[in-house]
This record gives sequence, structure tokens and C-alpha cells, in this order.
Amino acid sequence: MRTNLRDVTVYELRLAAPLAAFFAVFFVAPLLLLFVLSLQAAPDGGGYGVAQYVAFLGDAFSLGVLGSTLWLGVKVTALCLLLGYPVAWLHVRSPGWAKGVIMLVVLLPLLTSVVVRTFAWIVILGRQGIVNAALMDLGLIDTPLRMLYTEGGLVVALAQVQMPLMVLPLITALTRIDPNLADASAVLGAGHWRTFRKVTLPLSLPGIVAGCLLTYAAAITAFITQSLVGGGQMLFMPMYIYQQASTLQNWPFAAAISIIFLAAVLLVVWLFNLLGRLSRGYAQA
Amino acid sequence: MARRRDLDQISFSVTMAGLALASLVLLAAPTVVVLVVSFTSGFSLRFPPPGYSLRWYAELLDAWQLHFAAMNSVSVALWSTGLSVVLGVAAALGIARSPKLSARVLDSLFLSPLVLPALAFGLSALMFFSLLGFPVSRTTLIIGHTVVCVPFVVRNTVAALAQLNPTLLEASASLGASRLYTFRRVTLPLIRPGIVAGGFIAFMASFDNVPVSLFLRDAATDMLPIRMWQDLEGKLDVTIAALSGVLIVLTVALMLVVERVAGLSKRLT
Amino acid sequence: MLLTRRNLMQTALTLGAMHAFPGLTWAQARPLVFATFTGSWEEAHKAVLVPAFRKANGNADMVLDPMLSVDQISKVKAAPGNPPIDVMLHDPGPALQAVAQGLVEPYPVEKSAHFKDLIPVAQDANGPAPFFQTVGLTYNPDTVKTPPTSWADLWRPEFKGKVGITNLNSTLGTGFLVEIAKMHGGSEANVEPGFAAIDKLKPNLAAVAANPGQLATLFQQGQIDISPGNFNAIQILKARGVPVEFVAPKEGAIAFKTTIHIVKNSPNRELAFKLIEAALSPEVQATLMDSPYLIVPTNSKVRMGGEIAKVLAKDQAELQRKFVFQDWAKINEQRAEWIQRFNRDIKI
Repeated sequence: MRTNLRDVTVYELRLAAPLAAFFAVFFVAPLLLLFVLSLQAAPDGGGYGVAQYVAFLGDAFSLGVLGSTLWLGVKVTALCLLLGYPVAWLHVRSPGWAKGVIMLVVLLPLLTSVVVRTFAWIVILGRQGIVNAALMDLGLIDTPLRMLYTEGGLVVALAQVQMPLMVLPLITALTRIDPNLADASAVLGAGHWRTFRKVTLPLSLPGIVAGCLLTYAAAITAFITQSLVGGGQMLFMPMYIYQQASTLQNWPFAAAISIIFLAAVLLVVWLFNLLGRLSRGYAQA
Repeated sequence: MARRRDLDQISFSVTMAGLALASLVLLAAPTVVVLVVSFTSGFSLRFPPPGYSLRWYAELLDAWQLHFAAMNSVSVALWSTGLSVVLGVAAALGIARSPKLSARVLDSLFLSPLVLPALAFGLSALMFFSLLGFPVSRTTLIIGHTVVCVPFVVRNTVAALAQLNPTLLEASASLGASRLYTFRRVTLPLIRPGIVAGGFIAFMASFDNVPVSLFLRDAATDMLPIRMWQDLEGKLDVTIAALSGVLIVLTVALMLVVERVAGLSKRLT
Repeated sequence: MLLTRRNLMQTALTLGAMHAFPGLTWAQARPLVFATFTGSWEEAHKAVLVPAFRKANGNADMVLDPMLSVDQISKVKAAPGNPPIDVMLHDPGPALQAVAQGLVEPYPVEKSAHFKDLIPVAQDANGPAPFFQTVGLTYNPDTVKTPPTSWADLWRPEFKGKVGITNLNSTLGTGFLVEIAKMHGGSEANVEPGFAAIDKLKPNLAAVAANPGQLATLFQQGQIDISPGNFNAIQILKARGVPVEFVAPKEGAIAFKTTIHIVKNSPNRELAFKLIEAALSPEVQATLMDSPYLIVPTNSKVRMGGEIAKVLAKDQAELQRKFVFQDWAKINEQRAEWIQRFNRDIKI
């Protein structure tokens, strides 16, 4: 009798089988194939080994591309955090209607096509763009500044494109903080800056970590923005992979760079998860 | 003492609110700029435009290459969203409340396309299909898109299931309802907003996908974001500004509908 | 079992995978794909060639997939058994490669109505030439008051941060490098002086464009004021009122023929032939020679006139005499290395 009374709130794991099978064939198998191909010595066969990895890791140019990609992600994430945190802070403290407006402004870029968002930055940063026009009108500069096709321009554009990914988890984290804690801190005589540093910021760490992870992962793989705002001569990993695979048809090398890029991203994810666990422990303590 | 407190409060609030407003302007500016520029009467993407007209919207009507790509993108997005919802909801039901370790492993697997560089997956999928002798086609695009879109459905459905009060299901069962009946009349209506939100995000993610399409598309299965990117890189076509305007309006409209139906913003935070 | 499976995998990988997966031919119906060039060529072909072709062939389905010649070759090489492109467009360097690598179908000369009317240099049985291109200097007359007269003008200090070039993937980029090398004592076989000169050009560079089409749009955006440039790339922009002019440098502007090819194993061979016929026809060539396209014709029934006669040459004989024709067989020997070196070294 007891065996018939299954827990009605739990569905059978079997229901996940179709998607699991789909992933096994169309996600796991291709990635394994990618790995196998990365071990091929030359584009037309020629045995297996780690030659492609040696070629990448022994080449200052390739390492430079990897390094600048990872570093680009750090800069974008830092800027996103600096600009995104106040937005989340304001959202949590705003009355209902303002919350709605802020949410719309945050969600809009997330849902607009990435090509459209990037396109806007070409208009903004160009020599005849808004920024240059404004600076010239104000008499601050005589000749237009070069902002398009520079790394600074790229960092700002990427920060805008990816900021929703930072703001949304921060809003979640800040909403969860008990407002009484800040009040208590104020009652105990701590100023606003001090309360922010000692109470709010530490308690929102899980949100910061989650936001940074999403922003970082998105910024370093943002192929379109990197190529359109960065311009032809700024090379990052996604474009490097695309060039090797598509233009040069060097599939084993493209596969090897992909694997190295995947590994680098996984390492970063792992680091962030570690930080996340620490920060949750800290936030709960 | 009080003066110092005031100064402290004012400096803090002004800094935070000031930065927040600056960021909100930064977030909104590009959309506004694109909308304004799309009405330019000139040929360059100068801002502010030298004059205003609807000429680029008129050009858009004749842009058959863009129409072709847009139709392909919509069709691929619809197919992959449908596939994602069917596979993703079933999988979410299976893993959401399961205490088994394998369920948690599957959960991480299904969500992993969210953080892994999709470009690497796109390349691997191209190699995979080529090795099997399948040329790229609409089918390969749908399969590739489904892999990167299904996580959104899984995540939102799992979240909706987690908020489901199990006593409701137990009550339904104790009143003699079959599992299927309970699912149809209790579970499904309660998690429907989660599925709708997940499906919507999946649709947008597919429609906007670049890294997978980059490898799995060709001229015969052109995709809109790729076409737009190439048009921008190749000739800075102002028609793209008009197309962007259309896309922005459609996105906002769709977003507001989904917000109404499924409370989109609550599900994203 | 394990061994056989591994062997199978190895064989499959070596046979199929890397030799870029000729794969089994899962032939499927698809529209005719014409890989034209980006920018003004795409616009010209979209506006003139495609309508003419569709009108003559019962509204046959076709799409343009604009990309550089080098990219066309790698796309076709990736799937030679089932190529994603039916008609390729090549400048001399890539054309030699495509033919040498067996990627093109010989043109069915005997079936062609227009082949015999082409000027002799355009009559190539591997793929006839539908037009010629010329490369000189392009500049913005609003900001550059004295027109440049020499390649060397790009290095003038007043153009700091205002010069655009393309990378070497394009004929424009490589052709420019070779001319610069020659100016400093190099040749098609030795571009070392060219690289040294481009290194000195860095302070002046505002952008390195991905292709000639993008380079032209940088004038439209006001991003650059002067660049080595393709005569045709700027004509449509100029007609629209973008301030941009072409001038032949005193060292001589570069000219080359562009050939059009049926891709080997194309599933749309017949339509591909029809498209090329349309491209060679006097009607299409005459329309393309007019404003705003100004594309140099190769059909002897089309007399060079108007703006082309004024700025470039009054006929093909003068074109052949006046312009610099580079040795692309020689250039091809080292071009791949140059491309890689340029992409690594030239950062702005």
C-alpha cells in the first residue's frame, strides 16, 4: 500500500531524459570532438599530440591576446560594478512607480539586439558623434578625440551593453537585506558611509559576485561589440577563434584556442563560485 | 555633531544617487540615440541629424536581403523556443524537486551554456555536423540555438516550481485527482508565468544570437543579427538604424506584454 | 572493439574533418549564392545585376553574401563537395589560388553569348572578367584642401590621426603595401621596406578597416580624411553627397581585373552560368558604368565614357598603358605570411 503512495510533489527524473539525451548528442559530443580535434597536429591530419597547445602557449602574440581578453573583462566588470551598484541601490529605495521606470531602463538594453546596442555606440563615439560634438560645443577640445576603435571606448560600450547582468542580481541581493540592520547601525551612531561599508556592502556580496560572474563571462565573449567598437586591429579571443577557424581554416588550432578559452572561463567561474560561497558565509555570519 | 551627520548623509546620498542617475542615462542613451538617428534625412550617422525624415524606414521596405534574414531568424527563433519549452519544462519538472545527486548534476549541465563561451560551442557544433556530413542548414541552426536557449526555460521553470506550495499538490492528490489531472489543473497554471517568461527570454536569445549563428549559418540561411553586423561593418548602412528602431519598438511592446502576463521583471531579479 | 572504434574515429577525422569535411553530399535545394564584395559592389550588384538576372530567369531565388576573396576561398575549401557559394568574385591574387586549388569550374565558353565580345585580357576560360578596378588615393575635399599627389603624402604630419588603411586580406591592402615597398626600393618579392614604412605611418593611422567597403564608410562617418582607396568604393557615397574624392598618385594608380567564377560542385551550376552571363552582358555593364557606380566595363560593345573616361582612362588601351599592373603570382608566394605579420605587428 505504502509503495503506491508516491510523493506527489516530486516528478520522475525520467522527464529530464529527453533534454539530457539532446545535450549528450548536441552539446557534450561536439565539445568532446572539439577537444579531440585540438589534439590534431596539423590541419590535414598528421598524428595527435599537444602541438597546438604548445604553439599557443609558446607564442607571445597568442598569450597577449588571451591576456588582453581576460584583462578587458576585468576592466568592464569593474566599471559595471561601479556604475551598476548605485542603480540597484536607488531601485531598492525608490517608490513603486520609480522602481518600474528604473527596471524598464535596465531591462531595455538586455532585451534589445546586441547589434543595435553596439551600433548606437558607433554613433556616440564617432568623430562626429555626440561626445565629440558636445565637447567641441563646450570649447573643451578643438579637434575631435579618437574614441571609436580605442580600448577606452570599447570598455565603456561593453559596460553599457552588459550592465543589466550586473544590476539584476544586485537588486535581488539588496532587496534581501533587512532594512532594520541599516537602521540599527544608524542608531548605534555609524554614519551613512560607514554603514554602507560595514553593513550594506558586505551583505550584498553574494549579489556582487553573481553579477560580476555574469558580466565578466559576457564581456569577454562579446564578439560583435569587440569587433565593431574595437575595430580591425584590436584582437580578442572570440575574433581570434573566428579568424583561425573561418578565414584561415586552421581547425585544430582554432579548437585548441577554444579549449584554452573555455578553460580560462571555467577557471574564472570556479573562482567566482568560490568567492560566492565565501561571501554567502560572510553575509550570513 | 549633527552638522557632521548631515554632511555625511548628504554626501552619501548625493554620490549614490548621482552615480545611479549617470548610469541610468548611460543605459538609456544608446537606445534613444538609435531612435533619433533612424529618422535622419542624411547619409551619415551624425548626431544630432542634419534633418528629419522617414526615408530610411521607406528604404527598409525594399531591403529584401534584410527581409529574408529576418524571416529566417523568426522561424529559427520560433522553432528553437518551441523545442526549448517542450524539452526544458519536462526537464525542469524532472529535476526541480528531486533530491538525487544526478538531478543536481543535470541541473548544472543544462545551465552550463549560460556561462561557457557560446562561440566555442558554435565552432564545435560546426565541426560536429560537418563530421557527420550534414551541411549547415536551418535544422542545424535550430539545434544549436536550442542548446543555448534551453537554459533560460529550465532556469525559470525550476524557479517557478520551487515557489510552488507542495501542499496544493498533496491536497489535489488526496482529493483523488490523478497525477496528470493535478499537473494540468494545479501545477501548470501556477508555473505558467515562469514558462512564459523563460520562453520569451529564450526567443529573444535565439533571435539575437550571434556566436552560434556565426558558424552554423550560410548565405542561404542568413540570420538577421549577422546580416546587420555585416552591413554595419561593410557599409554603415543607415537602413540598419531604421531596422534598429523597428526592433526596439517591437522589443519594448513584447516586453510590456510579457511583464503583464508573467511579471517578467520579478523573474529576472 | 575499442581499437577499431578508435581507428574509425581517426580515419574519419583525418579523411573528413580536417580536409575540411567534404562530407557526404547532402545536396539540398537552396537559392543561388553569389559572394560579391562588401560595400559599393554589393550595392551595385543588388541594384543592377540581381534584378537583370532575375528578370531573365523567371525570378530565380538568389542571395548575395558579400565577403573578401580570401574568405570566399576558405568557405569553399571548407566544404568543397557541397560548397556554400555558387558564384565567386576574385581579384587577381585569389583568382590564381582558387584556380590552382581546383575550386572553380571552367567557364562554358562555347555556350556563352558574351564571352567572345569581351576585351582579350578579360577572356579567361577559368572565369571571365566582368570589370576592372583601380586603386589610388581617396580623401575628403572638405578637410584636405590641397589634393594629395603621391602615396608619400599619407605620411605628412598634418594627417596625424586621420589616415585609414585596410589590412592585407584585401587586394587594396596588399596592393598598397607592394607599391609602398617599391617606392622605397622593394618589389613584389621584397616588401620589407613597405612594412618599415607602414610602421612609420602608425602615428597617422586613425583606423585599420576590415575591408575596402568599411574603409569607404569611415569617410561617411568622418572618422578618416585620407586613405589609399578604391575608385569604385567611394562613388556611391560621393553621389549621395559624402565629401570624398579619388586621385591617382603620381607614382601611378594600381589597376587589376576582377574575375567571376562558377564554383566547382555548385548545386546551382546552370543558374550560376546565367548570373555570370548577365554580369558580362553589355546592358548590365553599360548601366554599371554610369553614375553612381562608375564600374570599368570589359565588354567591347560598351564604350568607356563619362566620368570614367575623364578620371581614369578614355579606353581600355589607355587603361592598360597608364596604370600599374602588379605581379600577383609573385605576391601570392608570400602573401599569407604578410597577412599574418601585419595582423600581429600593426596595432594602433
